[in-house]
Amino acid sequence: MTGIFASDKRGSLIAVGAILIGLLLFSLLTTGDLNLLGTEGFGAYLGTINGGDFSITLLSGLLRGMLLFLVAAGLSIVFGLMDVLNFAQGGYFMIGAYIAYEVHHAPAIIAAVPDGNLRFLLGAMLAVAVGAALGAALERGLLRPLYARPLFQLVITFGVSILLLEATKLLWGVSPRSWSTVFGLNEGAFQLFGQQFSVYRLFVIAVGFGLIVAVALLLQRTRIGIIIRAGVQDSQMVEALGINVRAVFTAVFTLGCAVAALGGAVAAPFLGASLGLSTEFLLGAVAAVVLGGLGSYEGTAVASLLVGITQAVIAKFGVQYLNQPVWESLSPMILLALVLLLRPSGLFGKE
Amino acid sequence: MQLSKGVSWRAVRQNWLLIAALILLLIFPFLVGALTNTDPTARRGLAVYWQGIAIELLIYGILTMSYNLLFGFTGVISFGHALFFGLAGYLMGGFQRAPELAGSGLAIGIVVALSVCAALGLLIGTATLRLKGVYFAIFTLAIAEMAYIFLSRYEPTGSEDGFTLGALPEWFDPTRNRIVFYYIVAAIFIFTFILIRRLMESPTGAVLLAIRENENRARTIGFNTLTYKLLAIVLAGVLAGMAGILFTLLNKKVGPEMLGTAYTVNPLLMTIIGGAGTLLGPVIGAVGLRLLELQLRNVQIALGDAVLDIGRALPIILGALFILVVLVFPYGIVGTFTRWRLNRRARSAERAAKQAEALKSVS
Amino acid sequence: MSENILEVCGIHTYIGQFHILEGVTFSVPKGSITVLLGRNGAGKTTTLKSILGITPPREGKIVFDGQDLAGKPSFKIAQLGIGYVPEHRAIFRDLTVAENLQIAERRKGDLAARQDFIFELFPDLKKHYRLAGGKLSGGQQQMLAIARALVPQNRLLLIDEPSEGLAPIIIEALMHAIRRLSESATVLLVEQNFRMASRLADRYVIVDDGASVQSGLMADLTNDQATIQRYLGAA
Repeated sequence: MTGIFASDKRGSLIAVGAILIGLLLFSLLTTGDLNLLGTEGFGAYLGTINGGDFSITLLSGLLRGMLLFLVAAGLSIVFGLMDVLNFAQGGYFMIGAYIAYEVHHAPAIIAAVPDGNLRFLLGAMLAVAVGAALGAALERGLLRPLYARPLFQLVITFGVSILLLEATKLLWGVSPRSWSTVFGLNEGAFQLFGQQFSVYRLFVIAVGFGLIVAVALLLQRTRIGIIIRAGVQDSQMVEALGINVRAVFTAVFTLGCAVAALGGAVAAPFLGASLGLSTEFLLGAVAAVVLGGLGSYEGTAVASLLVGITQAVIAKFGVQYLNQPVWESLSPMILLALVLLLRPSGLFGKE
Repeated sequence: MQLSKGVSWRAVRQNWLLIAALILLLIFPFLVGALTNTDPTARRGLAVYWQGIAIELLIYGILTMSYNLLFGFTGVISFGHALFFGLAGYLMGGFQRAPELAGSGLAIGIVVALSVCAALGLLIGTATLRLKGVYFAIFTLAIAEMAYIFLSRYEPTGSEDGFTLGALPEWFDPTRNRIVFYYIVAAIFIFTFILIRRLMESPTGAVLLAIRENENRARTIGFNTLTYKLLAIVLAGVLAGMAGILFTLLNKKVGPEMLGTAYTVNPLLMTIIGGAGTLLGPVIGAVGLRLLELQLRNVQIALGDAVLDIGRALPIILGALFILVVLVFPYGIVGTFTRWRLNRRARSAERAAKQAEALKSVS
Repeated sequence: MSENILEVCGIHTYIGQFHILEGVTFSVPKGSITVLLGRNGAGKTTTLKSILGITPPREGKIVFDGQDLAGKPSFKIAQLGIGYVPEHRAIFRDLTVAENLQIAERRKGDLAARQDFIFELFPDLKKHYRLAGGKLSGGQQQMLAIARALVPQNRLLLIDEPSEGLAPIIIEALMHAIRRLSESATVLLVEQNFRMASRLADRYVIVDDGASVQSGLMADLTNDQATIQRYLGAA
C-alpha cells in the first residue's frame, strides 16, 4: 500500500520477526518448566518458578510497550512534522501519573466521589486536560517563536522537562507514591498457567491497541491525517496549498502531550507516581521512535512493542539470574544506546 | 625595542578587564582577609569561608567553560555533561581511597579519571556525532542517566550516599590549608580560560565556529567536521572531568548527585545567561548565577500568614529563568553587550560616512 | 488595456543574511502567460516564493487583485486564489495521486468539480489514481504537481521550471496543458528553456542578479538577439 505504510518493508518485517522470535525463545528458555540452562547454581531458585512465567513476561512486555507507545506516538509524529524532539514528553507522562494518583487518593475527593471507578475516570480525564493545556502552551508560547533556531527549541523542551520535574517535586515531594486504593477494574485478576495477571493490565493493553488502530485510521482516512502525512514530507508546501500548517502543528503537539499524560494516568495504578517516570519513559519512547525509523508511524508502533517486550525480558532476566532489579531501570537507556549504535536509521527508516 | 613596547602596551590596554580580573583572582584571599580582618591562611574564619565560595565559583566556571566549548562554540548540544563531571569524581575518589595504592592513589586517580573522560568523549562522539545533532543530545542524556541510576544503586560505591575520600596530603587539604587549594583551583581555572581562548583564536577554533554556523558548508569547503567535533567533545569532557575532580576534592566526598541533571542544566543555563559562544560569558554566568543562588538559598518571604520559602522554590525559579532567558535573552549578557557595541559602532561609522559625503558635496 | 492581476513593486528579499532580491518590479496582466527569464541563481524562484510569502520580502510591495499581501502568512495568500507548482516536482511522494489532489481542496467538493477537467488534461493521473506519487514517472509527477494547483479555483498559477529534466515529447504535452489552463487562470512561469518559454508566453520579465532589468512583449524579445545573448546566454 502507500503512505506511511511505505514500500520496501519486507526486510524490516523480517528483522522485527527475528527479534521477536529471539526474545520469545530467550524467555522460554529461561522459564522454570522449560529450563534448559542447567539445573545447577540457580536451579533451586528456578524450581520455584512456574510455567506461567513466560506468558506473564510477554504480557508485561506488551503492557510496557503499550505505555511506551502512548509516549512515543506524539514524539514520533511531532518529530516528523515539526523536526522537534520534545524532551518534555516524558514529563507529561509523569504529570499524568501524579494527577491520576492524587485524584484517586486525596481524602477530599474520596469524600466527594466515593466510587473508585468514577474517580479513576475523573483522574484520567483531568490528566488528559492538563497534558493538553500544558502541551498547547509549550507549542504556542515557547516553540513557535523559535522555529528559526532549532538548537534553542531543543534546549527549551529540555528546560520544560526540568521545570515539570521541579514543579512536581515542589507539589508532591521526592518520595514516590504507590497506588494503595482499589477500584472495580483494578480488583479482578485471572489465572494463566497458575500465574495471576490483573484484568486491569489487560484492559490497558486493549486501550493501547485501540489507540494504535485509531491513530492509524486518523492518519490514513481523514483529511487531517493526509495533511499530517504530507507535512511530514514537506510542511512548507502544505502551507503553500493554503493550509494553516502552524495550526496543525499545535493540534498535533497538543494531542501528543495529552496522550502521553493519559499514558501516565492509566499506568499509575500499577507503576505508581514517581519522578523517575519522566526520564525512564522519555528514553524508552525515544528508543522506540529511533528504532521504528523517524517519521514512520507504523514503525513507531511496532518498535514500541518490541522495546517494551525487550525491557520486560531484561527486567526478568536481571531479577531472576543476576538478582539485580537495577537492570529493569537501566533497560531503556541500554536499549536506546544499542539502537543508536547499531541501527540509527531504524528498522523502517529510509535514510 | 620601541615598537615591541608599544605593542605590548596596546595588549595591556585591550585586555585591561582580563588583567584586572586576574589580579583580583590572585589577591582575593588576602583582600578578603584584610576586609574581614581575619587570617586567610588559618583553618577557619570569614576569609577562609569566602575562599571556599570562591573555589566553588571557579569550579563552576571551569565546568561552564567546558560546556560552552561544545554548545557555544561548536553548536553541539549535550544533555549529559554531568556524566564527565561525576564520573571523574568517582574514579579519582575510588583510586584515592584505595589503601593498596597508599600515597600514589590520588595521582593515579586523576590520570585515570581524565583519560576515561577523554575516551568516553571519543566513544560517544564517534557513535553519534555523525548523525543529526539531536542524537548526540539524547545519547548523552541516556548515558548520564544510566550512570546515575547505576551508581545510586551500586553498593561498593555507597549507593545513594556515595563515599568520602581518604585523608588528603596536608599541604593542599581544602579544610586544613584552603588557601593552597584555592591557588591550585585558580591556576587550573586560568589555564582553562587561556586554553579555550587560544583554541578559539587558532584556525581550529575558526573551523569549530564554521561548524556551528553551518556544518554542511564547513564540510563542503573540505574540513573533516567529525574530527573537529570529536576534538571539541574530548576537550570539553576532560575539562568537565577536571572540574569534577576539584569539586570532589573540595567536598572530600562524591555521590550520585554529581551525575544528576543539575550539573548539566546549571552549566547550560550559565552558558546561555552569560552568553553562549563568548569567552567571558560562561564565567560571568557561572559566578553570577551561583552567587544569586547562594544569596537566595536562605531567603524566606512572609506573605501574611504564609511563608514563601525561596530556597525550596529555587529550582523552579531557575527553571523558569532558563526558559525566559532562551526566549527573550538568547545572546546572554556578554553577547547582548557585544551586539549593542557593534551596532553603535556601525551607526557611528555610518554617521561619519554621511558627514564625509556631506563635506565632499559642499566642497 | 487589460487590468493587472499582480503587481510586484521594488521588492527586496533576504534569506538569512543573504540579500537575494535587490529590487524586482513587474506586473502580470490578467489572463496572460508571463514568464520570468534569467540565469541560474538570478532570483526567479525567490521571486515566486516572495509573492507567496514563503520568503516574505523585507521591502517593497506586492498587490494581488487589489489586495496588499504584506504581512500575510503563506497559507492566507494561497487562499486568495494563488496556486503554486514548485520546482523539482515537489509532490508528496508517500501520498497517493488521489491524496495529493485531495489535500489541495480548499472547500469540500473542489476536487469533484474539477476532476473531469484534470483527467482530460492529464489522463495518466486517472490511470494511476491509487498509486503513490513517488512511483510515478518524472513527467507524471510534474503533471500531478500542476494538477494539484488546479484543484481549487485559482486565479493565478505560479509554475516553477516545469520542463526541467523532462523529455521533449512530455514537454510538448505540458505546454499544451499550460495553454489550456491559461484559458481560466493567469500564469506566471519560471522557465530556463527559452524555446518553450518563447512559444508559450505572451509577456516576459528578465531578472538578473536579483533585480528585474527588462520586461515587455515576448514577440519583441524573440527578435532582440542582443538582449537574449546578454541576459540568458546562448538561447
